[in-house]
Amino acid sequence: MTAPFATAAEIAAAVGGGATSARAVAEAALARIAAINPSINAYTDVTADRALAEADAVDAALAGGAAPGPLAGVPYAVKNLFDIDGLTTRAGSKINRADPPARGDAVLIQRLRGAGAVLLGGLNMGEYAYDFTGENAHDGACRNPHDVARMTGGSSSGSGAATAAGLAPISLGSDTNGSLRVPSALCGVFSLKPTYGRLPRSGSFPFVDSLDHLGPLARCTHDVALAYDAMQGFDDGDGACARRAPEPGMPHLRRGVAGLRIAVADGWFMQSAAPEANAAVAAAADALSARTDVGAISLPHAQMGRAAAYIITNAESAAFHLARLRANASEFDPGTRDRFLAGALLPAPWLARAQRVRRWWLARMLESFADIDLILAPATPASAPLIGADTLDIGGRAVPLRPNLGLLAQPFSCVGLPVATVPVFAPGALPLGVQLIAPPWREDLCLRAAQYLEDAGIAKAHPPTAR
Amino acid sequence: MMPDLDAHIDAASALVGLEIAPEHRPGVRAFLGIAADMAALLDTVPLDEAEQQHANVYLPPEMDR
Repeated sequence: MTAPFATAAEIAAAVGGGATSARAVAEAALARIAAINPSINAYTDVTADRALAEADAVDAALAGGAAPGPLAGVPYAVKNLFDIDGLTTRAGSKINRADPPARGDAVLIQRLRGAGAVLLGGLNMGEYAYDFTGENAHDGACRNPHDVARMTGGSSSGSGAATAAGLAPISLGSDTNGSLRVPSALCGVFSLKPTYGRLPRSGSFPFVDSLDHLGPLARCTHDVALAYDAMQGFDDGDGACARRAPEPGMPHLRRGVAGLRIAVADGWFMQSAAPEANAAVAAAADALSARTDVGAISLPHAQMGRAAAYIITNAESAAFHLARLRANASEFDPGTRDRFLAGALLPAPWLARAQRVRRWWLARMLESFADIDLILAPATPASAPLIGADTLDIGGRAVPLRPNLGLLAQPFSCVGLPVATVPVFAPGALPLGVQLIAPPWREDLCLRAAQYLEDAGIAKAHPPTAR
Repeated sequence: MMPDLDAHIDAASALVGLEIAPEHRPGVRAFLGIAADMAALLDTVPLDEAEQQHANVYLPPEMDR
């Protein structure tokens, strides 16, 4: 079970059942990283010694009669804003490299380790997570495994690329405005952005405390749910973490979609997406309509939610980085610097109103969910742009790419809704993703629909073909 | 009327103590313009004057005594 595209569930079963060892799995994963990573630049740190030590610990525990964890011997990697004991948490930046090494692991890493998983390393990301492209002036662009001339999407660029390329069956990323959903869509893998406050962010470098979420990426729904379930639970190191008992997703995976009230977001969402992105949503809707009613919903205020997210992000992140901007503006990535600088100059009433509109937009979304269980929308306006592109066509108009590649994701993270993103594309084609959006705390609905679409053959993380 | 973004950059950066280098100004101006467009959109939202709830209301923690 050392095949590059083996699922986490398959690996855990093989290791737990004695068909292979965690060490053999880790060695194969490290060899594959050495062979493939130079072409996609997904890993910034490979923790080989640690991976082998963790794998040996899993094997020793199993040999001693311990029950295998749900992720026994499963390799994974994390966006480099997660604290990894002994490594400096660079968060995609040059400036943070002067910081001392982390003195402990992020809480989510501790929990995955507790489930038997084996950490392979840290992953490339857009600087300070203010990025939808996957480009990084300090570490180099992360490249899309489906076409290395194209963007991975960001800011969890390495997470999308590593998981798509078979370099980590599970990866962790963060999502403030779409940073899990954009790379998962453009790289053709599954992801789950849980409800805001579900997973603790303790031990991760922040971007926008009001909007930051953490979550898993994987190549199938089952693996996403395995990782998600292993990471749930309150932690008091994160002031926004909800005091909720874990609500496992795994028991819901095969409940199907019969009886769910589902709607496709039309209007602004369709007008802002290219025909191929709308076609991916239509394919998912068509498959779901075989089991339940699928209607349409216009969400006319989504742009307001997006605008609120933009202002909150711009102002709050700039305030967080103000000392670094004052002292070291020239050391920032040119792709993020001018946005951070502008954010430090916003009038305060803009931010206060954005927070009020955020609450108002949540009320509008909750009204929609009175009649609907799940909403479908494109994850990105189009498939992966070429690396270096700086404009994007939205509804026939060329707009700046960096702030707009995630515009269809922003309205939902603005109000903390859970969203699964599923890959819908033909083998050999450029990937696209469909967002499955549920009411707060109903990740189970996202996962049920994702599993259904996977079982129906609509959603699948096709391995990259040589390009 | 389009606001004078350069005048705002000069005044606000001085107040915040954040120098904007000449080579960074065109980008800062462009992103400030995008933020202004977003703020203008937020101004069109029909918020009730009586509704002052902010999304980021601070709640003190429960205390065990």
